[in-house]
Amino acid sequence: MGTQVKDVVIKPEAPNTLLLDKHADYIAAYGSKKDDYEYTLSEYLRMSGIYWGLTVMDLMGQLSRMNREEIIEFIKSCQHDCGGISASTGHDPHLLYTLSAVQILSLYDSINVIDVDKVVDYVKGLQQEDGSFAGDKWGEIDTRFSFCAVATLALLGKLDVINMDKAVGFVLSCMNFDGGFGCRPGSESHAGQIYCCTGFLSITGQLHQVNADLLGWWLCERQLPSGGLNGRPEKLPDVCYSWWVLASLKIIGRIHWIDKAKLRSFILACQDEETGGFADRPGDMVDPFHTLFGVAGLSLLGDEQIKPVNPVFCMPEDVLQRIGLQPDLLN
Amino acid sequence: MHGRVKVKSTAQQEEEKRKEREKKLKAFVSARDAVLRKRSAGEHDEEALQLTQQLLSSNPDFATLWNYRREVLLQLETSREKDEVQKLYESELHFIEACLKVNPKSYGCWHHRSWVNTRLPQPDWTRELGLCDRCLSLDERNFHCWDYRRVVVKESGVSVEQELQFTDRLIGSNFSNYSSWHYRSTLLPQLHPQPAPDSIHSHRVCEEQLLKEYELAHNAFFTDPNDQSAWFYYRWLLGRGVCVCSLCLSQAQSEGLMLVLDGQPQQVEWRSTHPRLRHSPVWLCDLPPGSVSDISNEHNLTVHWTEKYTHRDCALYTGCAESWCRDSATDQELFRSELSVEKSSVLQAELQSCNQLLELEPQNKWCLLTIILLMRALDPLGHEKETLAHFQTLKEVDPMRSSYYSDLCSKFLIENTILKMEYAEVRVFSLSNKNLTTLCHLDQLLLVTHINLSSNQLLRLPPQFAMLQCLEVLEADDNAIESLEGLYHLPKLEEVSLRNNRILFAIQSKCFIRNPFSAFRASAWFDLVSRSQYSSLINSYRLCRIMEGQQI
Repeated sequence: MGTQVKDVVIKPEAPNTLLLDKHADYIAAYGSKKDDYEYTLSEYLRMSGIYWGLTVMDLMGQLSRMNREEIIEFIKSCQHDCGGISASTGHDPHLLYTLSAVQILSLYDSINVIDVDKVVDYVKGLQQEDGSFAGDKWGEIDTRFSFCAVATLALLGKLDVINMDKAVGFVLSCMNFDGGFGCRPGSESHAGQIYCCTGFLSITGQLHQVNADLLGWWLCERQLPSGGLNGRPEKLPDVCYSWWVLASLKIIGRIHWIDKAKLRSFILACQDEETGGFADRPGDMVDPFHTLFGVAGLSLLGDEQIKPVNPVFCMPEDVLQRIGLQPDLLN
Repeated sequence: MHGRVKVKSTAQQEEEKRKEREKKLKAFVSARDAVLRKRSAGEHDEEALQLTQQLLSSNPDFATLWNYRREVLLQLETSREKDEVQKLYESELHFIEACLKVNPKSYGCWHHRSWVNTRLPQPDWTRELGLCDRCLSLDERNFHCWDYRRVVVKESGVSVEQELQFTDRLIGSNFSNYSSWHYRSTLLPQLHPQPAPDSIHSHRVCEEQLLKEYELAHNAFFTDPNDQSAWFYYRWLLGRGVCVCSLCLSQAQSEGLMLVLDGQPQQVEWRSTHPRLRHSPVWLCDLPPGSVSDISNEHNLTVHWTEKYTHRDCALYTGCAESWCRDSATDQELFRSELSVEKSSVLQAELQSCNQLLELEPQNKWCLLTIILLMRALDPLGHEKETLAHFQTLKEVDPMRSSYYSDLCSKFLIENTILKMEYAEVRVFSLSNKNLTTLCHLDQLLLVTHINLSSNQLLRLPPQFAMLQCLEVLEADDNAIESLEGLYHLPKLEEVSLRNNRILFAIQSKCFIRNPFSAFRASAWFDLVSRSQYSSLINSYRLCRIMEGQQI
């Protein structure tokens, strides 16, 4: 027969209703046990972890349960002299965590607790000759960082400081035969990169450069018989792709090409009824990362118990409205 | 964070696990604190290398440690001879390889390896290529490894042919080849770049390679009809000849277009047909008042598109109210590529083979879709009936993607109608009762005067609908239209029929509006409507049938 389709089978007893309260309890308690193994080992991404937790809580209308003052102080302690922000105290600055920090401060409407001009300088300084962005001074190039750069600057209202034409040119040079995008020119298409690149093109007003029909097809082919989405052909489904793929489809105006009911069942099946939270697939261990993307995915699918989420920034729409940011989407 | 199964265990097992983790955690925390203390103290020595080595082996995503390691290595470089530096970094490569064995997908690891190669006095690209071969033999989809391989190939000058052969080997021996097919798609254009339009010979070479690729993909999906990567690649091959002429002007469009009337450049303002269409294939301008007032004379217009070094001429003949110049959709092969005799016969044979495969695997959606694409490449109008039947089957065998197939089918029907319209030389576009779910190619309908889209499943008249600048009559009854965004400043539009849709204003009674300012019966309704966003639209139309059958 040849290749079997890689997929999961959802057990009949898997959760099929949305357990929002359990998820809120899970996130509220996460990280309170500072000596937790997983928690400590993931310190290298702490800033992003906080962004995931806060965003999902805000989407569930539970932001007030988080410790705003402590988090703001933490962020202040993570800004380095160069302007960049690190994942945690004692770690080195990086674009990934600079974006996460700016997103958190946007949620809290407290952007001025850090030196904004220095953040802008830091981001600007990471743009290379060919328009690409390095993640930090050590020079790793990736379209993820192009997204981080423009998203950060857009939230700060400072998009004009970079060389836009070159930045766009670089991202477009990463477009592949299948309409998708990879890390660097020549890299294979991957849903995470596609999210970053379509998000980038939305922020920079260049979505007309995308072949929406072709890319939309590649993206809707991520849906497997279980209803879940994978990140590229012949991989297992994962709830975080409910975000990367779905948001990309929303940005290019093709979200109706997914079977929404089947995806919703898959996402709900990834919940853990005992602990709260979402795992990558049914039966696995939960974490805040998959919890955010499960909830955000459900929001994009139209669940009215969750606040509308912006597909480009993965932040509540009301926050972006307050800032005055409404990036273009294709119809 | 990925792929960690939740395992139920006994209380005793839980306790043991907890103790184990507590121990591990303590060790990690103390090592981490020691490293960060050392770094704060500005110490860049062998001990730093040892401590970071311990931590990175099982925590390769702890990026700051790689940074520290690089600082230490750079520091050590300054006090060593070239051959010692060589040894230092070779040992580093050894360490990285050990890390990669534990975690072959760590961004930090791979980046560090690239960085080390920039510091090595004498990089050994053969060894690096060997590492890639080994890594890909364990996991052919590891994109980190593929990206690293591309760097190695570039630095060491491995030929495109060699790399194509490498993908041949992988495709021939393995399933799950998407990464290899993708790599091929990037190698081919380097081997056979797009030919210049006037160069006959290079075009033949290009096509020769293309036909070889068809065979390669064909063999793959005939060996395994569920090997989706080969089908994806094949679709790309089919589309390869299509010239997508995208007239996408940047926002500064007035600099890109220049209008010349009777030899005189004109000062005009170009505008899009709709405020939401900032990047559009259709641009409008008004001629300066009085410039074409003398209709007893012929006038000649030229539009220059300076960015693409091209222009079009148009003559407004004596007594004529309108004139145009356009590239025919049929001449330009707008919807498919021009086929040489060779390519045509190859595709014909492919179509036959795929039909045979379909008999063996009637549920294979890849095969069905590919047959549709082949038919479109060969003869879109001739195969219309079969195409519609195949789309129906596709929706049955692959229901999750029904919306996609409906939209794609709509697109092909619209393309066919445009072609038929061209052949018949008429300006009437009629596609009613065809299960249309979406509208596209609206830029091709600029000259259409009458359009009938009744009895379909359209949800909206999108902003792009505003490109139908010559439209006089619109019939779109019996759809599910909620939004009329595209009915925006259509200067010639006189008759509108939108009965039985979902336009969102509360309508109880049906009525015609002939003159919005006269009919008293209509005034109550008109009052209601004038408060809606569509009031300006309604005012414009001589005959407007919207009210009947609207669902709220």
